[in-house]
Amino acid sequence: MGDSRETILGNVRGALGRAPGAPVSSRPPLVAARVPGSRDAEIDRLLSEISALTGVARRVPAGQMDSALQELVHSQSVRKATLWSTSRLEQLGLVSRLGSLGVEIVSPDAGAAALADVDLGITEADFALPETGTLGLFSSPTQPRQVSLVPRIHLAIVHPSALRADLHEVFAEAKQRHYMVFVTGPSRTADIELTVTIGVHGPKVLHAWVVD
Amino acid sequence: MNPSPSQIDFRTNTQQVSRQMVTSVRKATTRFLGTRAGVVGQVANWEELREAGHNIRLHAINHLDHYLELMERRVTEAGGHVHWARTAAEAREIVLSIARQHQVKLVVKAKSMATEEIGLNHALEAAGIRALETDLGEYIVQMAGTGPSHIIVPAVHLTKEEIATLFSEKLHMDAPADPIRLAEIARQKLRQEFIAADLGISGANFLVAETGTLVMVTNEGNGRMCTTLPRVHVAVAGIDKIVPDWESLTVLLKLLARSATGQKITTYTSFITGPRRSEAEQGPQEFHLVLLDNGRSLALGDPLTRETLLCIRCGACLNVCPVYNHVGGHAYGWVYSGPIGSLLSPQLLGSKIAGDLPFASSLCGACGDICPVKLPIPQILLHLRRRVSEGDEIEPAISSRFARWGARVGAIVLTRPWLYRLTCSLLKLVQVPFRRDGWLPALPPPLNRWTMSRPLPVFNARFRSWWSQHQSTLKRS
Repeated sequence: MGDSRETILGNVRGALGRAPGAPVSSRPPLVAARVPGSRDAEIDRLLSEISALTGVARRVPAGQMDSALQELVHSQSVRKATLWSTSRLEQLGLVSRLGSLGVEIVSPDAGAAALADVDLGITEADFALPETGTLGLFSSPTQPRQVSLVPRIHLAIVHPSALRADLHEVFAEAKQRHYMVFVTGPSRTADIELTVTIGVHGPKVLHAWVVD
Repeated sequence: MNPSPSQIDFRTNTQQVSRQMVTSVRKATTRFLGTRAGVVGQVANWEELREAGHNIRLHAINHLDHYLELMERRVTEAGGHVHWARTAAEAREIVLSIARQHQVKLVVKAKSMATEEIGLNHALEAAGIRALETDLGEYIVQMAGTGPSHIIVPAVHLTKEEIATLFSEKLHMDAPADPIRLAEIARQKLRQEFIAADLGISGANFLVAETGTLVMVTNEGNGRMCTTLPRVHVAVAGIDKIVPDWESLTVLLKLLARSATGQKITTYTSFITGPRRSEAEQGPQEFHLVLLDNGRSLALGDPLTRETLLCIRCGACLNVCPVYNHVGGHAYGWVYSGPIGSLLSPQLLGSKIAGDLPFASSLCGACGDICPVKLPIPQILLHLRRRVSEGDEIEPAISSRFARWGARVGAIVLTRPWLYRLTCSLLKLVQVPFRRDGWLPALPPPLNRWTMSRPLPVFNARFRSWWSQHQSTLKRS
């Protein structure tokens, strides 16, 4: 094992003509970051990009949370839901709102087999990139990874403070974290005759609600 | 597909290509190129991005030892384990020993060319461990018992009818020839497997040295399943996957998906640094990274072949290649196909095994023009051709004994006019049984290597008689 390491590094150094610990020149320059538009324009762009990928993206004003949830629960026949316990999601009172719609709340710790039977997983985007319709999600004890992956429907709550102009800004913050996933639209494949098919292994339906 | 072929005979392989496969491949590559052109057209500074991508990749490869050590240090600091594999066999052994240590019975795999390259599935199955490909395309080709025929869409050579027949046979069910219903069947079947699996294996699209982060791009979500649900995650990645830092990704991620599938970005991009930090956040308890050399460090020796390692495996050069479009991926005889396969196979397997492939190119240059990181593919193909016939510091010449013998005989015949005239008259007689309407459509071996691809015109040798006649006509007038 240690042998292989030394052999590979030795071969690489030999081929490159570099001594161990030889200095490294600075990384070549990058391409300039994108300049963002106004806040409203950025939100519009985010919503239109996600919609173009067959995601359901919309603004949900504070007063319309109940009706938006009701519509989702009824149109998708949601019986069970699981969710992150971030402070913003708790402030939105989703547990009691869903409870009053007759939806059973399952703990994210219930295990993958139980979560596979859950209809709806609710998360909160740590980042949103309007240019590509991308949502960035971290993981932590209050942000378990399976919630955005295993249930049939993924609902991501997006606060405008999560908007970033470009990958440059996202990466400057995200490199401090040990896990992140970008979600851009629902799960898809084109592996059979290049026919786009939505919902292979990940969620079949993606909702992104911009909440102020 | 044979994980370690002993000889790749491109011409013979092309004889086994069905017309149906060519139609399927062409349909797919045309679609890919169309959508790619659409999204690339929307990027005002595409050429600037390509240039930056080339420079960043070249910088990483030129300082590979430094970034590999940094990667190792950061992964270890994050609580992960780093393993180094000189060869495919070492890499297989490392993965097997991790699997044995955890008494693994079922492995779920995300799509990974590196694990195809080392023939990992066969090794796992031989050790009594079930290994299941979970990318829809890979799931199909694993079921068919073949290898991928395209870097991005492994089952591109199969029609929906062929896939439905395959599902019906292997899964003992009545599968309809409908892509959406077939994908649904795969979802249902694989759900239980993801949940039951003990070990998840993935590749890597990039390894970020700065923080020890593995970056994986997928569309289906199977890659996330494999790296989230099982308790152990093993990633196998070529040493060439290294990039210096996260900022480099701002360029490379923009180039990759657009060039590969014509998407602005893939559905999922995972950034994984070590194992989970707490049980509540979920994810694997153990993270292993296997750094695979398997011939890559040899390619570094020459400043031109070194650039082969810049490749980010988008598959655009396959789509645009007139040769790939005529023969599909399997004719290339190993896991990598198309122009990039013609570069990688001779360098990773050796010219002796894959020396045919650099010649399987019209050198039209389309591959180099489309490459998102500006790999000089035609120039490297020419270099490898020279290596095959002349040898270089890495490999001796391997031109066939027949070719060398032929050249020697040719030299004797061409320097003796009487022998040349005699040979011409003899050849005219010898070819008679093979003649068909002014052509020689089929010749016996080893000359059949020419007639496999095109007929040979009949041997006339009329110049001397024509010349003497011409001279006398001139004199008379």
